[in-house]
Amino acid sequence: MKTAVLGVSSSKFGELWDVSPRTLVSQTANEVLKASQLSIADIDAIYVGNMLSGILGNQENLGSFFAEELGANCAAFKVEGACASGGLAFHNAYLGIKSGAYDRVLVIGVEKMTDHKPDEVASGLMGAGSEEERVSGITFPGLYAIMARAYINKYKIPKEYLASVAVKNHYHGSLNPKAQFQRAITIEKALQSTMISDPLTLLDCSPISDGASAAVLVNEKNVGGKNKPVWVIGSGVATDSLGLSKRDDITSLKSARLAAIKAYKQANVKPADIDIAEVHDCFTIAEIMALEDLGFYQKGKSGKAIFEEKLTLGRSKELVVNTSGGLKACGHPVGATGVKQIVEVVEQLRGKADKRQVEDVRIGLTHNVGGSGAVAVVNIFKRAKDQ
Amino acid sequence: MNNISPVKIWRNQKKIASLIGKIGVIESFTIIFVPPSGFEGQVPYPVALASFGKSKLTASIVDCDLDKVKIGAVVEVVLRRVKKTDREGVIPYGAKFKLISK
Repeated sequence: MKTAVLGVSSSKFGELWDVSPRTLVSQTANEVLKASQLSIADIDAIYVGNMLSGILGNQENLGSFFAEELGANCAAFKVEGACASGGLAFHNAYLGIKSGAYDRVLVIGVEKMTDHKPDEVASGLMGAGSEEERVSGITFPGLYAIMARAYINKYKIPKEYLASVAVKNHYHGSLNPKAQFQRAITIEKALQSTMISDPLTLLDCSPISDGASAAVLVNEKNVGGKNKPVWVIGSGVATDSLGLSKRDDITSLKSARLAAIKAYKQANVKPADIDIAEVHDCFTIAEIMALEDLGFYQKGKSGKAIFEEKLTLGRSKELVVNTSGGLKACGHPVGATGVKQIVEVVEQLRGKADKRQVEDVRIGLTHNVGGSGAVAVVNIFKRAKDQ
Repeated sequence: MNNISPVKIWRNQKKIASLIGKIGVIESFTIIFVPPSGFEGQVPYPVALASFGKSKLTASIVDCDLDKVKIGAVVEVVLRRVKKTDREGVIPYGAKFKLISK
């Protein structure tokens, strides 16, 4: 069964203190249903991507929680895989359609992080790591800092290469009205920002954010209406150890490499066929590793390409990466991120990305990672032929 | 979320005991400036991934000069208090690293 994305929608990402998770989801879900020309009664199942509602907000059972809010009695699930929760919710929704079990499904990614103190959020996020890592007092910036130092030591790249990821993604964020940070930054400013977890500074890190993103998926019999379908042509998931100490190599994410191989094989495309990608830049080093894990660059080579603006909108002749601003500038409400990446890629493939529009995009990819690489989801999308 | 389970600590005792005294080499490290709950009193503190031949361990490094923490430096596993106690007063102990000259 062929699967298409119909409508997509995202809330503004940022510090949304005056909005509850209920309101955030109901607004975004209603927008996506309207965009899909459907009502909630048409939906067979709801897949919610979320990580922290239980650990921070004492609210679990999110499938029913949001079904109630939307006035539905259909099947509903919460899918959790740390910062890959959104991508995993999408993957499960895709399987729901592909299997023939459901005709029309709603995927929602949501996270409300700024209701809680930063140290509580940092501890909550460590729920994605191993017990050994929690005992060590490390944080997520810390885990990626350990990977960054190992990478810098192995491939001898300057810190400017890391900073250039933040510069690119902030530039893209400056063109996105939904982004948490809509201002450009310089390499100097990035390098001089406050130390968070040596060698990563504040501007190497994605922020703590609130936000929700949603998509409607349908089978080929249910395409039509005003939206040209965007086809899901590959969706791969793979896992690795929870903690860094169980891995041979910490300068690459095995889960991402394996998920990419599966997705490319299903889609029957090569890395060179991809026109745009939204990759999981929770920290600057993560985008550098992502571009290599996805096969766009050889090991140790992607940082220089980013620094030379080869992946920047308006400068790139081939692949453009993180036009939404990425997690770095668009914001990172962890459960929403994987779905937001899909929203961005679908809008690009439909030519509706406004100031961020890349010319003549045919195939787009999303790369969503949970924990320090314990799980990864890679999805590949293709625009309808007659577009 | 910051509650400490005495049962879990008791169950992990054997594992922790088996690590104490091991000598390893730092593969990579960071220095934490923004800590999670319970570790506020320790910042800035280094956390290292160290290799012990066939196995590796992630732990913080205690009692050290931050300038001496380097890739390739030698560490010994020691038993130390992990973090601030919770409301019930349980003090969690676990494996940490100490730099040693070799």
